Amino acid sequence: MRRLGQFVEIIVGVAFLWAGIVKLMDPSAFLSAILTYEVFSYKVSVIASLGVPYLELCVGACLVFRVMIGGARLLAVVLLFVFIILLSQAAMRGLDVDCGCFGSSTKSSEAGFFWPIARDVLMLVGIGLGIVARGNTNGSLEK
Amino acid sequence: MKSVREACIISVVVGLCGVIAFFAHPKAPAFHVDELEVELEEVLQLEEAFWIDARSDEDFEKGHLEGALSLNEERWEEQIVDFLDAWNPDAPTVVYCSSQACLRSHEVAERLKAELGVENIFVLKGGWEKLAEAGIVEEANQ
Repeated sequence: MRRLGQFVEIIVGVAFLWAGIVKLMDPSAFLSAILTYEVFSYKVSVIASLGVPYLELCVGACLVFRVMIGGARLLAVVLLFVFIILLSQAAMRGLDVDCGCFGSSTKSSEAGFFWPIARDVLMLVGIGLGIVARGNTNGSLEK
Repeated sequence: MKSVREACIISVVVGLCGVIAFFAHPKAPAFHVDELEVELEEVLQLEEAFWIDARSDEDFEKGHLEGALSLNEERWEEQIVDFLDAWNPDAPTVVYCSSQACLRSHEVAERLKAELGVENIFVLKGGWEKLAEAGIVEEANQ
């Protein structure tokens, strides 16, 4: 069970790494995607367009290489919750958003919001599995 | 508590990387884009504005503002020749893309300024969506 938890977390880590690299290759494209959510001001979006990719890279690297694993889990959970909330509000408002999740330029109103939200939920479950598999019964995110 | 401490360390590293990327990343977005932006009402008052459509070729073919020239990053080298043929340095150049969230118009305007020294250049705030709202173009084309 513990190995399975580790394995799933590493998969989630690789997904974060991939998402971070793709966004870092073109921060302007990611900025455009953030703006389509119509939640943040332009300046906040610029900061997010440069901060989120590095956050994903660091969280992904920590999950893959098992470094500062507690902090990485905490940040991964926060990130995934934020992504789910952003996608859900866009779906409810019927916005024509570009998910921006993995650098895709497919508008979510065309591709559907289900898969991006389901993917984030699955990644959350993966992190949860990692915590449970560690045998932490006190609710800690640490090793 | 250890998790929170680790999360703070990661966040500091991320912040530092973000600051470095802002200054060093070749594709880092500009923090101020408002300088070039103009409202549609202001643009309509300009005489003989030269319009540039920065959207994709596909969108341009579906519909574009009458008299607008297509110029985008994907086919810059080919389209810049047409731009130079048609461009009147005395007329203000206005670039638009699909919406306020779209940054292609800013990229094209910045590039024209930097590479060709086009000074009298603006970006239409709201882009194609704004033109459609005002009834200047048909939204169905988008």
